[in-house]
Amino acid sequence: MIKCVVWDIDNTLLAGTYLESGPRPPEPDPELLRVLRELDHRGIVHALASKNPPEAADYVATVTGVPFAAAECGWGRKSDALRRIIDDLGLGAEAVAFVDDDLLERAEVSAALPEVLVLLPEDAADAPSWPEFSPAVITAEGRRRGEMYAQRRRRQQEARAFGGSRDDFLRNAGTQVIIAPADLVDVPRLHELSVRTHQFNTAGAPAGEDELASLHGSAGHRLIAVRLRDRFGDDGIVGGALIDRGEANDSGVPPGPGAARCWTVSLLMMSCRALGRGVLDALLAALCQRAAGDGAGELRIPCLVTDRNVPLRLALVAAGFRASPAAQPGPQPGEPAMFARQLTGPLPLPALPDWATVADWP
Amino acid sequence: MTADEAGNGAPAGEVGEVGENVLAELRVLLSRVTGRAQVAFIAPETALFGDGVGLDSLTGTLLLVEVQHRFGVDVAAEDLNLDCLATLATLAVFVSQRLPARDSR
Repeated sequence: MIKCVVWDIDNTLLAGTYLESGPRPPEPDPELLRVLRELDHRGIVHALASKNPPEAADYVATVTGVPFAAAECGWGRKSDALRRIIDDLGLGAEAVAFVDDDLLERAEVSAALPEVLVLLPEDAADAPSWPEFSPAVITAEGRRRGEMYAQRRRRQQEARAFGGSRDDFLRNAGTQVIIAPADLVDVPRLHELSVRTHQFNTAGAPAGEDELASLHGSAGHRLIAVRLRDRFGDDGIVGGALIDRGEANDSGVPPGPGAARCWTVSLLMMSCRALGRGVLDALLAALCQRAAGDGAGELRIPCLVTDRNVPLRLALVAAGFRASPAAQPGPQPGEPAMFARQLTGPLPLPALPDWATVADWP
Repeated sequence: MTADEAGNGAPAGEVGEVGENVLAELRVLLSRVTGRAQVAFIAPETALFGDGVGLDSLTGTLLLVEVQHRFGVDVAAEDLNLDCLATLATLAVFVSQRLPARDSR
């Protein structure tokens, strides 16, 4: 259960940059102001960690009207600021969430303090509906998520004590990533993931339940659900993919014999809670192998270019995908780039990790 | 020689004098983020993904953070396709060309 949320200030709590706004500092982000007040109402404590002078914290406290239990302002590493806040407040790191719009700050904190729940501002806007932030709400789903949270803590404790590599730990934990065609009953969960995923989402726009349900039944498409479990617990569906098998071109005409067919993944997504557990590599390898097995010569994944999804783009590059065209100017931030990978030729297909199971699908 | 001369004067893929220092520092950063000491001895043409260094999305993000801290170069913002992460040499050239002027004195 989260007991304290540590907030960045610039372009997170404030809709702008404190020091670069002239005499009048920016207003608070209205949606996050609502979240601040709601979580404060639930007894969750707030704190600030900002690369700003201390006056910025005073300004935020005044303009939001919300009490902050600690404020760390300075130009050091944010993980050090979080450590001091955690010590000051006498909390465990697993009871702390950190919200920052900056990829590098998030990665630095994730690496130094893996127990901390690291969130984008968009994630935080959704947080009041999450069981981790809902101490009083005891529903069946809430209890289940509460258990998952305890499992996550046990897994992290063992991972810290484990001496070997990440892959060795995944095997030791009995990790299973199961990649299979979705059932119709999986569609609501896949829709929910398409709304809630930001860091690991190629499309950047939610996929409607009706749309997913209709594509589920389409011969030219495949809707894939990715499940994750290990000996610490069962996370259920943590990812998905929507595939166009390229059987017909835009005018509905199938390509002639000998014409190279290509698979296009119009949506690829993974929950940020599955980060570091071998899910994305397994999914990309499975897609490459199934596409090749289906006779496709190329796998294409259009992916929005934002500073939110750098880890996702890195995973694509690591799996042998290249954005095209390589010519300048490349795609601008906020626009999709076409990442593509040849499935025949000198570059071998990415190997499926031994913790992955891929169901046969037609 | 200034960092600009090293970067702009060198043909793509070649590493100038400043680049040599960047190469050496990148090797250290790479061995730190991968946790593999032998990565500190790789050749410039070694691929950073796949069979070379074997970066993945997590270690790749950590590398970008370390590069930002050490060199003040935000690779993810300046190379949207991340083409410069092909090999150690391409990354060293990319970083050398963008070193802030403070290193040129």
